[in-house]
Amino acid sequence: MAHRGGERDFQTSARRMGTSLLFQLSVHERELDLVFLDHSYAKPWSAHPDASSARPTRMLFVTPRRQQENTIESDVPIDVETVTSTPVPLYDNQKARSVMNECERHVIFARTDADAPPPPEDWEEHVNRTGWTVAQNKLFNKILKALQSDRLARLANEGACNEPVLRRVAVDKCARRVRQALASVSWDTKLTQWLHTTLVETLSLPMLAAYLDALQTLKGKIPTLIDRMLVSSNTKTGAAGAEALSLLLKRPWDPAVGVLSHNKPSKLPGSPLILIASSGPSSSVFPTSRRHRFWQSQLSCLGKVIPVATHLLNGGNGVGILQCLEHMIGGVRSKVLEVHSHFPHKPVILIGWNTGALVACHVSVMEYVTAVVCLGFPLLTVDGPRGDVDDPLLDMKTPVLFVIGQNSLQCHPEAMEDFREKIRAENSLVVVGGADDNLRISKAKKKSEGLTQSMVDRCIQDEIVDFLTGVLTRTEGHVGSEPRDQDAEKKKKPRDVSRRDLAFEIPERGSRPASPAAKLPASPSGSEDLSSVSSSPTSSPKTRVTTVPLAQKSSQLGSSQLLKRHMQRTEAVLSHKQAQVPISSEPTEEAEKEELRVQLKRHHPSSPLPASKASKRPKIKVSLISQGDVTGGAPEAAGGKPITMTLGQASAGTKELTGLLSTAKSNSSEGGVAASPAPAGVSSSTSPTALHTLQSRLVATSPGSSLPGATSASSLLQGLSFSLQDISGKSSGLPPNSPSGLAAQATSVKLPTPMQSLGAITTGTSTLVRTIPVATTLSSLGTTPGGKPTAIHQLLTNGGLAKLASSLPGLAQISNQASGLKVPTTITLTLRGQPSRITTLSPMASGPAGPEEPTSQALASSSQRLPPAP
Amino acid sequence: MAAEEPRGAFSSAWRHQEMPTKPNYALKLTLEGHTEAVSSVKFSPDGEWLASSSADKVIIIWGAYDGNYEKTLYGHNLEISDVAWSSDSSCLVSASDDKTLKIWDVRSGKCLKTLKGHNDYVFCCNFNPASTLIVSGSFDESVKIWEVKTGKCLKTLTAHSDPVSAVHFNSTGSLIVSGSYDGLCRIWDAASGQCLKTLAVDDNLPVSFVKFSPNGKYILISTLDSTLKLWDYSRGRCLKTYSGHKNEKYCIFSNFSVTGGKWIVSGSEDNLVYIWSIQTKEIVQKLQGHTDVVIAAACHPTENIIASAALENDKTIKLWMSDY
Repeated sequence: MAHRGGERDFQTSARRMGTSLLFQLSVHERELDLVFLDHSYAKPWSAHPDASSARPTRMLFVTPRRQQENTIESDVPIDVETVTSTPVPLYDNQKARSVMNECERHVIFARTDADAPPPPEDWEEHVNRTGWTVAQNKLFNKILKALQSDRLARLANEGACNEPVLRRVAVDKCARRVRQALASVSWDTKLTQWLHTTLVETLSLPMLAAYLDALQTLKGKIPTLIDRMLVSSNTKTGAAGAEALSLLLKRPWDPAVGVLSHNKPSKLPGSPLILIASSGPSSSVFPTSRRHRFWQSQLSCLGKVIPVATHLLNGGNGVGILQCLEHMIGGVRSKVLEVHSHFPHKPVILIGWNTGALVACHVSVMEYVTAVVCLGFPLLTVDGPRGDVDDPLLDMKTPVLFVIGQNSLQCHPEAMEDFREKIRAENSLVVVGGADDNLRISKAKKKSEGLTQSMVDRCIQDEIVDFLTGVLTRTEGHVGSEPRDQDAEKKKKPRDVSRRDLAFEIPERGSRPASPAAKLPASPSGSEDLSSVSSSPTSSPKTRVTTVPLAQKSSQLGSSQLLKRHMQRTEAVLSHKQAQVPISSEPTEEAEKEELRVQLKRHHPSSPLPASKASKRPKIKVSLISQGDVTGGAPEAAGGKPITMTLGQASAGTKELTGLLSTAKSNSSEGGVAASPAPAGVSSSTSPTALHTLQSRLVATSPGSSLPGATSASSLLQGLSFSLQDISGKSSGLPPNSPSGLAAQATSVKLPTPMQSLGAITTGTSTLVRTIPVATTLSSLGTTPGGKPTAIHQLLTNGGLAKLASSLPGLAQISNQASGLKVPTTITLTLRGQPSRITTLSPMASGPAGPEEPTSQALASSSQRLPPAP
Repeated sequence: MAAEEPRGAFSSAWRHQEMPTKPNYALKLTLEGHTEAVSSVKFSPDGEWLASSSADKVIIIWGAYDGNYEKTLYGHNLEISDVAWSSDSSCLVSASDDKTLKIWDVRSGKCLKTLKGHNDYVFCCNFNPASTLIVSGSFDESVKIWEVKTGKCLKTLTAHSDPVSAVHFNSTGSLIVSGSYDGLCRIWDAASGQCLKTLAVDDNLPVSFVKFSPNGKYILISTLDSTLKLWDYSRGRCLKTYSGHKNEKYCIFSNFSVTGGKWIVSGSEDNLVYIWSIQTKEIVQKLQGHTDVVIAAACHPTENIIASAALENDKTIKLWMSDY
């Protein structure tokens, strides 16, 4: 376990070192990374010797302690000249400076009469205070003082290397003082409106800009009050001015704006459900804090977020704290159960702030969840730190991540380490330097490190993603490796069994309890028969295809409802995702190759080409490719291996005339290979991609295969429903070379081009229901691209799989153009099959659920056969 | 060994070991013009000019290299205690006993702004590196921060209980150091006016002068017990002590000389200019020539030139030059 964890850590750190700018800024313990780079089995010095479940602490922005110099520095050389170089700010300085000055640039909008000359520099002496009430004078002076100190800060910080952050801090301070001043008059509408008008009229431009900056900041916090304050001036300045002003005040500027938008957070693999346990009973009087709401939206970038709110019983009357807590725990618990019953195969992640974190931990003891994230864990209680022998938290077995502030009052990093040693669950700790209970960093920290809260929040989010990605991919990797039980299974299944017969597997799986607690894809038996059919490795003994718990399984939520629900959304998400095409070409290539292979395989069963004679001796081997085979390689190797293996396999298969039936499952299994390597060392950025690619491919497969059937999707489905033998037999019986088959080929080829493919297949009980955009594509393709497929055909006949692979993208392009069709972005195929098939398709279903596929290019055939050898 | 080194060459890459062990400053010019005691001399940052303030209520601008009289700035009603250049060498600020500071445009010789607000003699002043702010110290025991553009006081720091003898910005402008006769040196955050650190000098000896080192890492503190101390203020430690001169009564300016060797230069009440080696604390040279207390010594920004000024029995400014 430690080994795997190490790999993951190495992987993530390698990835982040390469990609995350923010990471470079944060003061991580770099030696950790170095250790992992050295050997996968090496342990960092800080690893707990007797608490292997506690992973080394990660430090975010924790300033390393300065070494105490004990030497008397009588002859230490004194350098009075050399200026220590200032650190480069973590954000885009130019951009930050530009947003920083937007109020100054647009200050003129605020002025009521732009024609009048701006007030002179000594405007203060010219303010006519006659007729002002005491309250007005007082308020005006307070605001003036706030603006003056803001002015001082601006001037003093001018030209500083991290001026934007310093300015941000100063503006925040000024806004606070203005707010205090306004609060001191209870936001009296008349008074505040008078104040605003007076300030706009009298302040000199620089001061007015500072005032607008303060307003802009406050607008983000207390929009209604500010709006009310601005009403009068808006009527005066007219619509244009008001609009410009409201635009300007829309949102406070952030120095890190460029950096954060360039480094978008990525979705978690396996499309988990994120349950947020509230840290207290909700009530309308005390709405959830802005910070929690902000984080809720941040987390929704990672997966589906479900906030769990508990309401006060009896309006809070006569309810003790204990009851209230029980109620909260009960609320979260029932929500977890509910989610499990609705989405039995989705991983559930519990996240909580402070008390909510505790609630989450307690619920994780009672109900099965995949992981727990505790933000601002309240370790210290009135009775001392948690973790006493009778603390139920010690029984936690769910992987848990603690994120605590260095300066937290409710927690202490060292006490936390003690606590972590006692927990049996795998746990990680992130310490955020200079942060409080709510993980907000102090002003001094911002100043000294040139940080903003938004940057810190993003780093925390990255840590959460790292942790969860590890947990999720791992649970996906070991189907049986539920932390809860089946330890033996975990050991046996995934690794050692190199090949497994379907027959063997089905009963085993079937025997699994379908309880929500057994959350891992105990894929229904039926699923295997289609999905797990895979190409036989006979040809080359070395390419072992191992049965493996598919990585996808955890993500294959299998449940058709879920799919249906998500179908619509998929498209949108997809398109969003498509924008982020992976930078490294590897994943794409891999996907393409794989896809190629898939196509090839599929092609044959459906429409056996002349050259590739129908399988004479149909030999069907059902096996899953194990990730175990692949793991252990270097990241690239791991990524590449599966492909090459399969390719080799395929070609070999051709030669040997082995009819290989590979179904969707085989793809999925490969998906498992590609995706699961994440733990094995593929950079995690690629792994989700691969996974999704596979999924999408799987999805796409079915339409493709249905076409070959030359009739309708229903026939395809029937084909799917056949037993393996049946499939093989049938496939051979399918009309060879039928144009539609080619068309299908074309489609499949074409789809691979980025952005085009994605299908959601939902399996139900009866027969096929509908194919939406696919239908059009397919039909049109069936006719139009007639010419192009021949190219593919030739390639196929020539047996140059590799060739094909290389030429595939081109082909895809060609066919695309030839067809002149706009290929639908989403192919939704709803299949209704026998219950036994559910799981088969469910992997595909996960395709839409995990809509990331930047490279969702691949098509896969559900029933594939390797070209028989001559 | 140092002779081969180019004269006046300025390189931070130089190490102490390579530096000359002793300078050879020699009197080059004596500038006469003030009719009363000179209170302060400062070279302009661009090295072109030398400004001197005096008890005769005027500021005189001199050519820094040839000592030629350039112009006189009139405006203050009482004695001027200090004068300082803006970073672009275009402006001067002066602190006067008439409780005001004045900002001068050097080219036109006109007073641009008069900063009113102190309740007693203004004794010291300085620009921040961006020259957007002026800091001033006064006998009213306060330190004020002024906006150059508007001439308004943005902040008053009241944390000394005796006249403020010196104020100075660090090289980035983020910190202000102030020294006072109450024996304290305080370091302030320029942006907020918060006191970040207080250095209590031994026995609460009056602090007569304080300034940051050119890189802002250290501060040099003069006390009226004839000692200069170099402090690492971030750790609150005194690293070096320079003594041998006489300073018990006046607020005498001292300076870092970094154009050749690394020296500390200070006036003295025994009418000499003292030069110490920063590293070894030894007196490496004494400059003899003035006939009264040498109240101020300034170092040229790029050349090995020292300007010194003396009180009313002398009234002259002397320029000294060295080969290294």
